[in-house]
Amino acid sequence: MFPVLTTMLLGLFLGLLAGAIMQRSDFCMTATFRDFFLFRSTTLLASLLILVTLSAILFELVRTLAGTESFALPVFGVPSLVTVFGGGLFGVGMVLAGGCVVGTLYRLGSGSRLALWALIGLIAGSALYAEIHPFWSTLKKMTSFGPQTVTLPQWSGLPPWVFVLSLMVATGLLIFWRPQTFAPLPGWREMKGYIPPLYAALALAGVGALSVILYGRSLGVTTSYAKLAAHLEQLLIPGHLAATPFFQTQTPIVFPFVPGPLIAGPGPTFDGIAVMQYPLIIGIILGSALSAWQLGEWRWSAAANWRQTSSVLVGGLLMGLASRMAAGCNIQHLWGGLPIFSVQSLLFLAGILPGVWLGGRLLIRWVLPENLRR
Amino acid sequence: MNKVKIEKFDVYGQVCPSTLLLALREVNRLQDELHRGEVQLDIRTDNRFATATIPNAVRNMGFDAKVRKEEDGYLIQVCAGRD
Repeated sequence: MFPVLTTMLLGLFLGLLAGAIMQRSDFCMTATFRDFFLFRSTTLLASLLILVTLSAILFELVRTLAGTESFALPVFGVPSLVTVFGGGLFGVGMVLAGGCVVGTLYRLGSGSRLALWALIGLIAGSALYAEIHPFWSTLKKMTSFGPQTVTLPQWSGLPPWVFVLSLMVATGLLIFWRPQTFAPLPGWREMKGYIPPLYAALALAGVGALSVILYGRSLGVTTSYAKLAAHLEQLLIPGHLAATPFFQTQTPIVFPFVPGPLIAGPGPTFDGIAVMQYPLIIGIILGSALSAWQLGEWRWSAAANWRQTSSVLVGGLLMGLASRMAAGCNIQHLWGGLPIFSVQSLLFLAGILPGVWLGGRLLIRWVLPENLRR
Repeated sequence: MNKVKIEKFDVYGQVCPSTLLLALREVNRLQDELHRGEVQLDIRTDNRFATATIPNAVRNMGFDAKVRKEEDGYLIQVCAGRD
């Protein structure tokens, strides 16, 4: 039991760190894509590129030093075209919800009432996925393509460092050509406790690397939303829970510092997913709350109108549904998958871009105050 | 010297990026008075993200902005640019 407890405590620490950094910087992946489409703003996109590039270097370094052949691979699975659709649905959802699966957590921590609605939506969406799981798994198998490998290095047979180096060169050239895109916004020093997203990206890359050392994989939280849904069903409709195949699925999970594999799945049990994700979730909420409180900025936000509240609820639901359809959320794919050149994560990215664009249109058309609709 | 008139605008409890859009619409409405230095716009919000995006947007429009913390949120003061 001791290694499990230690892993959980260290995970809580990682969560606290991530939550505090995100609260200080408002490192929001939703705004990253949305504001590019709505305002042509590239500041946050540049920070995300730095996060992906630095993570690629650090992940590869950890992998080489630890001497493991591969890590985090089973999470993403073999390429399947439906992941593009899942990514698209996720993109629409995160714009409507005003934050992604982790953005919801750090905003909740700093007192956002809307984030609470997004969280309810996320749990409901995960429960909804459980109902369509058998159909979706069949579709996923039918649309899987290419050699049955997870990453581009495996697919091409080239060593991973070739890809890492190419990414470094591409990012380096962009920094050289467009240095102003990467610079923090002027005037950022005026807000006490504000961390520019660029610096947050550097710190978060470190947190991600620690996660790979601790868990053998990058950060993830969304399976826990399915677990919470399972716990609710166990309380309310236990017969239905037992008859839903998705909640019975289990795959072994291996943590570097825990002897033997642990079982892990979306069912209502205390397993490997709970060991990894529960402390992270609690940590992110608490870390953000402590950070806001320390700045004297913790407060419940004002309640939003019904239109915006329902948009956030529906957005959360779409994200919960889509993250299971796409074998992971934006955090897993963009922060964990892109740095190891997972093909599934590239497909997710291909879907999230049009999804966010569509979400932005829907937001302007239906959700924003009437006098803002163009 | 003319006294600067202060216009108040409150945006609380909004989903992103509504705070920014509402604030910018108000800046646009008052842009002539703001440019002439007759008016200062005091925007109050509970959205922390807006304290980075609003000042940046209005600076790009040629205004100046100051951010201050208050009891129930943030105060963003928009006024004529320095030049």
